[in-house]
Amino acid sequence: MGLDAFESGLLPLWQRAQAGDEAAYRDALLRIAARLRRYFGRRLQSLPDEVEDLVQETLLVLHLQRGTWDPGLPVSAWVHAIARHKLVDLFRRRGRREALHDTLEDLDDAQHPVVDPTEAPARRDLGVLLESLPMAQQRAIVMTKIEGLSMAEASARTGVSVAALKVQVHRGMKQLAALVKDDA
Amino acid sequence: MKTERLIDILARGAGPAPRHAVERRLWPVALMGLGASALCGVIVLGLVPKSVMMQWGWWVKLGYAVSLVAVGGWLCARLARPVQRLGAPQIALMVVLACMGALGIGYWFSAMPELRWLELLGHSWSTCPRNVVLLAVPPMAAAFWALRGLAPTRPRLAGAAIGLFAGALGAAAYALSCTELAPSFVAVWYTLGIAISTGLGALLGPRLLRW
Repeated sequence: MGLDAFESGLLPLWQRAQAGDEAAYRDALLRIAARLRRYFGRRLQSLPDEVEDLVQETLLVLHLQRGTWDPGLPVSAWVHAIARHKLVDLFRRRGRREALHDTLEDLDDAQHPVVDPTEAPARRDLGVLLESLPMAQQRAIVMTKIEGLSMAEASARTGVSVAALKVQVHRGMKQLAALVKDDA
Repeated sequence: MKTERLIDILARGAGPAPRHAVERRLWPVALMGLGASALCGVIVLGLVPKSVMMQWGWWVKLGYAVSLVAVGGWLCARLARPVQRLGAPQIALMVVLACMGALGIGYWFSAMPELRWLELLGHSWSTCPRNVVLLAVPPMAAAFWALRGLAPTRPRLAGAAIGLFAGALGAAAYALSCTELAPSFVAVWYTLGIAISTGLGALLGPRLLRW
């Protein structure tokens, strides 16, 4: 799939997602994940085990930073800028400066080596990292994001206000992204 | 955890994207930075007398600094995003610098030749850039904190924008205590202080803006 097709498929979903449509957001993230898997797959041929971890790390960042998308610019450009940043960051952490030469960028789709587009298992288990979050944040995330309770239901069950729960969920996701980065 | 499961977690209960995420993080920084710098400057160095505030040269100086604060803040806001549109703020920066440069040069040539150097150096040329840089420190720290929570992908340029923004805030604060009135003085020594702050920001950017 070329960049234009990716953008035109993603944009309407993304606009609805930004407005709060969760189904559209889920759909958009699935498309982005597939795109990221191919993007990282091509550039990490010598490190295939890193691909899925980096996909997950990037998805977390996209989620936390979705307020920084400029509606005047393509979503695909925003996704690629963040993906590229995470890739460069991975290379820097691994001290592989020579890998920064981005010669593959110049190839078109047909010239690229074939990469398996299916999901490989991630090495890092986000479930385990989730368990190392502070109790309150972990409970807020498990109830609203995994068990699927609404904020009001979770609030009734714990006696914590909806506003405080929202803060706990947000802080927890930020903390999770930080843990992922330290863990890498 | 499978990626699809992570996506479920991210999307569930996600609600709408935060609105004005960049602006909401930068505005408090700008206001707190200006407050801290102005307070430091006025407490340590004192406020200029009313008679100085009546002079147009003082307002030119303040106007120059405030314009650069606006342009620097604009650049920070653009560079806080992963993909940037820098055209308009870059042009604005050129315009502000060109205007001050033209004013400084015009003033130099309109002054009597024997006064030109006296006015350019004033009585405080050797301390002015240093004071501007020192007063830029609190807003610089605050602005780095703000951008660390956003998503700059060009850390050196974003650091430079922070340095420009903070340097201009420092200059605006210093203008409250500085009695120099010649535009040629402002064009050279204020600009030098802001330039040093910008360079400092560019040096710190790649170190501090990792995410």
